Amino acid sequence: MSFFGMGRPQPTSAEKIAAVEAEMKLLTEMANRLTKACQKKCIPSEYRESDLNKGESVCLDRCAAKFFDVHMKVSEQLQQESQQRSGGGGFGIGG
Amino acid sequence: MNSFPGMGASGGGGGYDQNDPNIKAINAMMESCFGKSVISGVMGFGMGGLFGIFMASMSYDTPFHTPGGPGSAVKPIAELPMSQQLKVGFKDMGARSYSTAKNFGKVGLLFSGIECGIEGFRAKNDLANGAAAGCLTGGLLARSGGPTAVAGGCAAFAAFSVAIDAYMRQPSED
Repeated sequence: MSFFGMGRPQPTSAEKIAAVEAEMKLLTEMANRLTKACQKKCIPSEYRESDLNKGESVCLDRCAAKFFDVHMKVSEQLQQESQQRSGGGGFGIGG
Repeated sequence: MNSFPGMGASGGGGGYDQNDPNIKAINAMMESCFGKSVISGVMGFGMGGLFGIFMASMSYDTPFHTPGGPGSAVKPIAELPMSQQLKVGFKDMGARSYSTAKNFGKVGLLFSGIECGIEGFRAKNDLANGAAAGCLTGGLLARSGGPTAVAGGCAAFAAFSVAIDAYMRQPSED
């Protein structure tokens, strides 16, 4: 069979589906964690009314923003760390 | 990505479609601190007007004689024709009720705005917001009376606000 693409082979459709499924799982898990954490932190357990009052809304906004910020920063650090390790390991092996 | 975290709940609260952007804008405006304080101020003005009318009917310091000026002599009001008596009476009642309405409106506006601001800043909803807002409102309204009056107004308003809040937050019996 002839393939024109030199370099990485294209992922098959099954692999693409699996990748999308994995991403959806990650996102769902992240949304669940965010909801649980912010609900525990911001909403006291005595429910006197059904609407969120102003304090709770502001708290939820801030909680979600901080969650995503933390996630971003930690992922960046993790990426840097893994690059250093793999780069250092590669040099170590090659040298 | 945008389907599972947020469900598009179909509207139906009171017949309005909750996803209508205009309705959302109006609701957001009413829930903002500015909207809340304006609504409180207007309601305070109305209640103050009614209260002022009631208090005016019990007042004992209405004058018995017309002021009298360079042109006319001083006359007892009871000797004026009935329409004039009514006019004088309504004018007095209107002035008292207007001044009470203004005071109540100011109280409502200030208290509601300050409490909303403090709650938005602290991101918590408890009794301390009302206490602090009451203290600031009382202090602001009494600022022309000197530091003792300011402290007294602060303490009185804060205690009143905490009492009312604690009563409203009691768990219901059912």
